[in-house]
Amino acid sequence: MAESPRSGPRSRQLLLRIRRGLFASPLDTVITVVLAVLCGGGLWSFLHWVFLQADWAVVVENIRLYIHGRLPVDQVWRSWSWLGLLGTLCLVTLMPAGMLPRPVLRLLPLLWILILPIGLLLLASGLGLEPVKSRFWGGLQLSLLLTLGTILMALPLGILLALARRSSLPLLRWLTTGYIEITRGMPLIAVLFFGQLMIPLFLPEGWTLNRVLRAVLSLGFFVAAYMAEDVRGGLQAIPRTQLEAARSLGLSPLQTIILVELPQALRTALPSLANQCVASLQSTSLLAYLGLIELLGISRSILGNPDYLGRHLEVYIWLALLYWLVCILMTSLARRVERSLNVTGHH
Amino acid sequence: MASGIAPSPQPTSLAVRSQGLDKIFPNGFQALSKVDLVVGKGEVVVIMGPSGSGKSTLIRTFNGLETIQGGHLEVLGHHLDADNNQKVVSKIRRHVGMVFQQFNLFPHLSILENVTLAPIWVQQRDRQAVKERAMALLDHVGIREQAHKYPSQLSGGQQQRVAIARAMALSPQLMLFDEPTSALDPEKVKEVLETIRALAAEGMTMVVVTHEVGFAREVADRVVFMDEGMIVEEASPQTFFTDPREERSQLFLSRIL
Repeated sequence: MAESPRSGPRSRQLLLRIRRGLFASPLDTVITVVLAVLCGGGLWSFLHWVFLQADWAVVVENIRLYIHGRLPVDQVWRSWSWLGLLGTLCLVTLMPAGMLPRPVLRLLPLLWILILPIGLLLLASGLGLEPVKSRFWGGLQLSLLLTLGTILMALPLGILLALARRSSLPLLRWLTTGYIEITRGMPLIAVLFFGQLMIPLFLPEGWTLNRVLRAVLSLGFFVAAYMAEDVRGGLQAIPRTQLEAARSLGLSPLQTIILVELPQALRTALPSLANQCVASLQSTSLLAYLGLIELLGISRSILGNPDYLGRHLEVYIWLALLYWLVCILMTSLARRVERSLNVTGHH
Repeated sequence: MASGIAPSPQPTSLAVRSQGLDKIFPNGFQALSKVDLVVGKGEVVVIMGPSGSGKSTLIRTFNGLETIQGGHLEVLGHHLDADNNQKVVSKIRRHVGMVFQQFNLFPHLSILENVTLAPIWVQQRDRQAVKERAMALLDHVGIREQAHKYPSQLSGGQQQRVAIARAMALSPQLMLFDEPTSALDPEKVKEVLETIRALAAEGMTMVVVTHEVGFAREVADRVVFMDEGMIVEEASPQTFFTDPREERSQLFLSRIL
């Protein structure tokens, strides 16, 4: 083509680029027009519905339920303070590394681990507060608690499983391989039902575990099997020569794993691990079918209220938006971690 | 056997003594057969030979990176035989530094951290002291300014010099070099050989596998020529390069000189 898009004034360049990108040939033009009509039409009717036909009362009037579940009104501040802490932690983590003093940066992983027990203490009892029964826990807050609990359990367990799977002890290797293969072969919903029904049977007499903890245990065991494979992939990507260098320096096998192998393996596995974390959030919604009133569960129970008969679309679109926002938050956190591990432009 | 039982090694002027050393890989390939070699303290021994002759395998047995299937090995007073006692191996590794063809720096650690890793975790020495010594070593190999960079930001020659500093950080009594310049661009070879030469001048005991004839001529006390897993000839560099005794040595030299 004779005319280069770099010649001519800027507006002309833009026009040229649009023409070349969207209307280069008759076929391209047809495709562009059809897609534009479809998208435009869809968007138009969606917006029309959102602003003129939908009745958002089912969302607005129940905001408290969506966020805190059935927490008694005078206890809602406990939920807010935890969500506030969590939000602050997210913000601090997302801040550019240069803006944070080093000690804070070092403390961040610890804070992320501590945020879970803090949430449990604030909700369940402890701190001299009146205990709230776990059946009152719910909404977005419960979804986040479940997700965090699952990740904090599955990640270390997954790492241990990955290490055990390539252990030199045959029994350990067979057991972990069997565990990973069997777990990956089961549907999550089956694992969750199994957990709710079976875990109480394995507990010593007189012990009980509430439904939320049983759910976290089942989810954690399930996700760990997938994370183990991600970590194993990362471990396999490390050249053998790295291990030889570590051994020749006199590092013990354990030191080699902790100081040389895991840092490199986790860096490689990070994108897939982040993927698993997002999937864990979505998986918590299955617990609605086991009677937990997390985000999906509480929405279903709101829809059961005759006042909001037939408002499914509003509720599910609102839910999609909430899950999507949390997802975005999680992906940006993951990207932040990735960047902090990658400061060096390591090949 | 005395291996691993003697509380302190006998004082000896030997760094390495191998007697009838056999290395057979799991696939049945015999990489070393009946290798006898003695390296005295303060000696610089250069091992040459065609590829596949077992020279790398031989020095890798010296710090237990390769197990041995027969014969006897004495490294810095520690005795090792076909049982490959891991306790003895880890004692040996504390006093033997190794430099690899591919540098093998740890990519996730800074240059300084690469050098301080082993002293901190293996010798459990004071971090501050270790850091100061590491900086001195990096200064010695001319990389002080790059201490806070990462391996991938350095040239091959610089990485290899860091690898030498990393091995030196454990204050080894014996240094093993496995083709340290073979992966380098020609113009980087010199800087690495200079560094090794300086170490030799300080009296470090070294076993160097290399194809660098000039280096061997100038620095080696002895040249060992290997072929097909056996030592074919041992001689002073002058004799070896000008008047090799064995036919196979002559053939090899006629190809590389």
